[in-house]
Amino acid sequence: MTGPAGVGIGWRSEIAGFVAELPGLRFVEVVAESVSATGPLPPGLAQLRERAVTVVPHGVRLSLGGAEPVDPARVAHLAAVAQRVDAPLVSEHIAFVRAGGLEAGHLLPLPRSREAVDAVCANVARAQAELPVPIALEPIAALVDWPDDELDEADFLTEILDRSGALLLLDVANVYANARNRGTDPLALLDRLPLDRVAYAHVAGGAEHGGFYHDTHTDRVPPAVLDLVGALCARQRPPALLLERDGSYPPAAELRAELDALATASGFPAVT
Amino acid sequence: MLEPADTTGDPPPGRLAERQAELVAALVAGGPAPPGFASAPLAATRTALLRKRAGDVARHWPLLAAGLGADWSATFAGWAAQRPTAGSLRDGWDLARTLRERDALPPAGAEELATREARLRYGGVEAPRPRRLPAVARAGGAVAVQIAGRVRLLRPARRPVATPPAPGGDGVPDAARSATWISD
Repeated sequence: MTGPAGVGIGWRSEIAGFVAELPGLRFVEVVAESVSATGPLPPGLAQLRERAVTVVPHGVRLSLGGAEPVDPARVAHLAAVAQRVDAPLVSEHIAFVRAGGLEAGHLLPLPRSREAVDAVCANVARAQAELPVPIALEPIAALVDWPDDELDEADFLTEILDRSGALLLLDVANVYANARNRGTDPLALLDRLPLDRVAYAHVAGGAEHGGFYHDTHTDRVPPAVLDLVGALCARQRPPALLLERDGSYPPAAELRAELDALATASGFPAVT
Repeated sequence: MLEPADTTGDPPPGRLAERQAELVAALVAGGPAPPGFASAPLAATRTALLRKRAGDVARHWPLLAAGLGADWSATFAGWAAQRPTAGSLRDGWDLARTLRERDALPPAGAEELATREARLRYGGVEAPRPRRLPAVARAGGAVAVQIAGRVRLLRPARRPVATPPAPGGDGVPDAARSATWISD
């Protein structure tokens, strides 16, 4: 039940063997919707728990930013998974994934409006009432912006964190992607976020397609993202940094090199 | 139509619900672009959602995706562009049935479809459910049977290049891949 610490990796069944053999690993994240609330844990994940590796359930389908109240069954599932893996916290996104009876299939951005802040905070409060542990909220990478923002990104996020009391899951690759696609300075955003509220940070790879940088999680982590990890750690190093990879899994040596690069950029011990 | 009364004590939802629904419809259901949104980021988001969805469906239908190989992404995107997802299992299932109708199902995908259809009942509208009775399913020449929840591929799908029949066979080749029974 220790909090996230050091360099971690997103546990996925496709790389369970690789993850199981990382000698220094103390922290993984698992997609909450991929774990059964009642059945046995996936074998690789159960072994990690036996080794006292911290497992953080990461929700991707709650739709906390949806205008409708969050689905109680989805919150109950997240709470049950948190208990099953003895998690110190759970995490979800500042985003919505469905509306009007349609599933978007992935995380969509909110307008940076007071109405959206109200909607997120109401849903976070509903979730917090049922969750056995704290929740950390992750700002997403988005290609599209709403036309009528009332707040800038830093004020929007800070307001949500202040009002909800939630922790921050800072995705460095998302900060990079958003800044790159909008021509803004990622360091200026880091300077205005409450870095003392970061529970852990995400790092992932991406690629440019059609004039936009996409946070794909299926490409290597670009040097510029590692530089931003260094800049974040120079300001305030988060307790943990987690590598997210969600497909096109490279050979083990490459994945180890990505983890080592994270350790180097942050000054955390290598886990490989 | 009147909305049910809000019993949570939260402020009224304003227009956020409606505007979120418009954005999702524009991204996944061919709806019009909501006013004020720039078109290039919307188009890029549409493409990104389709790529993500194709990856999710490929995880549920690995043989279908592998059978289409380099054509998988384009085939899926062409089929899915204006169809909201019904979940990855059903998306792949609906696509496989569409390809079967067009006689465009790759052999591995045909075997995957036949195996699924022998195990589960799926009418195209509700979530697939396990069959209670024995069943036979066919796709692209592949034949799968299910008895008491166990599925066996009796006959492989037609391959473009014919393989010579095994001498002394009974005319129903037992595909090497089908040697094991598949259980849920």
